[in-house]
Amino acid sequence: MTSYAVLRRRLRARAAGVTAALAALVLALFVVTLSVGSYRVPLDDVVVSVLHLGENPAVDFVVNGLRMPTALAAVFAGLALGLAGTIFQQLLGNPLASPDFVGVSEGAGLAAVAGLTVFHVSGAPISLLAFGGAMTSAALIYLLAWKDGITGYRFILIGIGVSAFFVALTGWVVARSEDWEARSAMTWLTGSVGQAGHGEIRALVVTVLLAIPAAVVLRRQLGVLALGDDAARALGARLELARLVLLGLAILLVAVATAAVGPVMFVALVAGPIAARLLGPAPGLLAAGLAGAVVMLTADLIAQHLLPASLPTGVVTGAVGAPYLVWLLATSNRKS
Amino acid sequence: MSGRVAGLAALLVVLVLTCGLSIVLGARDVSWHTLWSAFTAYDDHDTAQRVLREMRIPRTLLGLVVGAALGVAGSLLQGLTRNPLADPGIMGINAGAALAVVSGVMLLGVGSGPASVWLAFLGAAAATAAVYGIASLGRDGATPVKLALAGAALTAGMSAVTTGIVMTHIEALNALRFWQVGSLAGRYLPVFWQVVWFIAGALVVSLVAGRLLNGLALGEDVARGLGMRVGLVRAVLFATVALLCGAATAACGPIVFVGLVVPHVARMLCGPDYRWIVPYSMVIAPVLLLAADVIGRLALGRGELQVGVVLGVLGAPVFVGLVRYRGVAEL
Amino acid sequence: MRTLLALAALVLVAACGSSEGGADKAAVKEGRWSYVSGNGETVKVDHTPVRIIAHSDEAAALMSYGIKPVGIFGNEKPAENRNLKDHDLDGIAVLGTAWGEVDVEKAAALNPDLIVTDWWPAEKAYGGFENGVKAKSKKLADLAPVIGGSQGKSLVETIAYYEGLAASLGADVAQGADEKEAFEAAVARFRKATAAKPGLTVMAMSPADDMLYVGNPPYSPELMDFGKWGLKVLAPKSPDPSFPYWENLSWEKADSYQPDLVLMDDRAWEQSQKIAAKQPTWKSIRAVAAGAVVPWPAYWIHTYASYAEQLDELAAAIENARADIGS
Repeated sequence: MTSYAVLRRRLRARAAGVTAALAALVLALFVVTLSVGSYRVPLDDVVVSVLHLGENPAVDFVVNGLRMPTALAAVFAGLALGLAGTIFQQLLGNPLASPDFVGVSEGAGLAAVAGLTVFHVSGAPISLLAFGGAMTSAALIYLLAWKDGITGYRFILIGIGVSAFFVALTGWVVARSEDWEARSAMTWLTGSVGQAGHGEIRALVVTVLLAIPAAVVLRRQLGVLALGDDAARALGARLELARLVLLGLAILLVAVATAAVGPVMFVALVAGPIAARLLGPAPGLLAAGLAGAVVMLTADLIAQHLLPASLPTGVVTGAVGAPYLVWLLATSNRKS
Repeated sequence: MSGRVAGLAALLVVLVLTCGLSIVLGARDVSWHTLWSAFTAYDDHDTAQRVLREMRIPRTLLGLVVGAALGVAGSLLQGLTRNPLADPGIMGINAGAALAVVSGVMLLGVGSGPASVWLAFLGAAAATAAVYGIASLGRDGATPVKLALAGAALTAGMSAVTTGIVMTHIEALNALRFWQVGSLAGRYLPVFWQVVWFIAGALVVSLVAGRLLNGLALGEDVARGLGMRVGLVRAVLFATVALLCGAATAACGPIVFVGLVVPHVARMLCGPDYRWIVPYSMVIAPVLLLAADVIGRLALGRGELQVGVVLGVLGAPVFVGLVRYRGVAEL
Repeated sequence: MRTLLALAALVLVAACGSSEGGADKAAVKEGRWSYVSGNGETVKVDHTPVRIIAHSDEAAALMSYGIKPVGIFGNEKPAENRNLKDHDLDGIAVLGTAWGEVDVEKAAALNPDLIVTDWWPAEKAYGGFENGVKAKSKKLADLAPVIGGSQGKSLVETIAYYEGLAASLGADVAQGADEKEAFEAAVARFRKATAAKPGLTVMAMSPADDMLYVGNPPYSPELMDFGKWGLKVLAPKSPDPSFPYWENLSWEKADSYQPDLVLMDDRAWEQSQKIAAKQPTWKSIRAVAAGAVVPWPAYWIHTYASYAEQLDELAAAIENARADIGS
């Protein structure tokens, strides 16, 4: 028994260490995001400027005024998507069941675009609308995929269909809106952390900061790993409720992230598996969220600075995420 | 047998009517009388007649061949893969063709005109091979689920790269919407002539292939027992699919769901015999594509909605229905 | 967990401070400077601005009076901008070469004290700050006050506005007397040409792949001027209510309007010609079939010199035009 306790303690220490390392990496990438660009700011000046330790108006404007919203959006949208993706994957017991692949993000995106172009609102109402869209989409997928329970693959295929439907409707809404330049509409539809408005970022930051502790606590309560539907039934009402609340939280996180940065593909899909690779199966939600933030920050740095022209973040995550997905399919097939 | 012939004849009548609507409906009101005189007494100076002869009819012709190409490609794919979810759009074939054309034109500076059809063909062939190859890994082979998932994954990745390429070429931005979702708008006779021979040739091959598809439907071993060279047949038919999809995409951009929906409708009408499914698809698909195009012309009241968007809205529920009610996920 | 909290704290501190920053306070020179902008508001700076960032066409106007900006942004590369072609661009930073995109970081490094760009009354926005421009690009306005002439009812007023602005910025505008004279002469010739062809009608058009855009005179200062000088510029019947510069005409209805002479948007002249030629109905406009298509200097003229040049060309086209092509 003692050796088991030792093992557990070791695993915990490893998890804490890896999580701390991920957090440090997020912080480092965050500072790099604030530092690079056509106006290069040395790293120490970034720290001085962010912490208001000194006064240099030009640097303060570039760092705090221009880059901070992008960097914040990247960190928090990454956290939100990483958490949400991992919650989906763990609760549905399928690595493909991430909200960006099955149409939850697309539902949020449709509602957000409609809010921007048809109702002309911005800020928190957009996030709220996106939440409505994501909930509708999730409910739709759930209802359509329900047939004496939810099997993983039917859920995912129906999700792909629902996703295509919402993408087409979003195209319709964009075509209807007259005051949108094609280019900005396309940037939005591909997802970009640079486009977030102040209101949407605030909604995102507040939601994520409140949701992370709640999600971590709920996840602990659930304890058991991936939950099949039968397992859920055996669990009793209180845990079933916790399960539903956790899913609701995940949908909320997807919604606020999508409202702020648009439908950035594949971050939610890859964050959990990356964390799992570092921590072993069923990684902590916090680690998965941080992995999401790392992916988002890195993708944005590549999209903004390493490519010949600055591109939406979603172009990079799409181009990098797809091969991963293919690899996932290939390897999971071999096992089955 | 005679029932199937009658059904095909009835569908042809529907197709003719759809073409009529596609020719008559649009931003400019034209009368049936103008349509009549556009053929009997064509007057170069009558703009209404010109609109018919040089804009609506070419557009309708393009819809006809592209629709037929996509519908037949879908039925070939479903037969080849014995998979009810096979669709050139869902499997990423059209996205592959689009990526090849965009890369050729914008990065290498080659491929406008007929060369773009060849590029699209290569892209389509590569995507078909990739999706099928990925899905075939593992013991259970290329199941519908794995094909759809691999297709969705590749589509997402390739569309992201296509968007990236187009967005870095500001002057090509006008074309961006076109390369993201397909459209029949603004492409007149030259585009039609570019692709029509490719498509016509591939359609002839497909019509002949009905019996081979029936053989494949019995399973590989049985087909081999019947003396069929399964490997060769598959290779030729996959190439035909790639040619059909490549030509269609080169002309109109990536269009999804036509190839998915149409063979199922055909199967409902004429049963599981591919000698009939292929010609039925060839007639039903243009009806669907042209009808969606007409809806797109009228839906906004101002400007046009691309046919690809209309098909997404119409086709996605069919996909969901197939997954739910045909028990696909259990396969 | 603790690391995350630390990170969150850092990030929150950052978020609170991010709305500050903004306009850079350079060393104060002389006294206060103020000038009324095209939207009626008075712009004040605590010294005469010397580090100006301007939209390319407006930059050309200022440069023609010897005021050299430190940075420019435009809808195209400077080499493709005809207003800039005669100016020395050495030492001027290029901050944007496509509509809706300005590198604000680069702009911040220039420490600007004034942003000069046209005011567009129909959109109630300065050029570069319209709907659809990236939020990040719009932060240019946080660097310095924005000012500009209105693209309103007369191009002559717009040009005069920049003359006045340049003078207030310290330029000697008297040097431009010759160009002004040439402009007056061009106007006189234009008036004479239109007087000789009282029945001649024209329309302004801009062909695109999906639409034929028809210019709406009340929203185009130069078309308003042409009208004042005797040219009958026809207005389209149903301009786009949310973007009233144009009527969006389907190519199928290209023959809806039949002027005697077509003024075609010259901002991408060759591209536009190619696009139009592809459309089977372009020639259903009788003036087009008769070859009566001349450049319309659309929304780009900002100096007397270029206006004079364009007016001369238009006057020549009007002198040669037939008034019996349209209806």
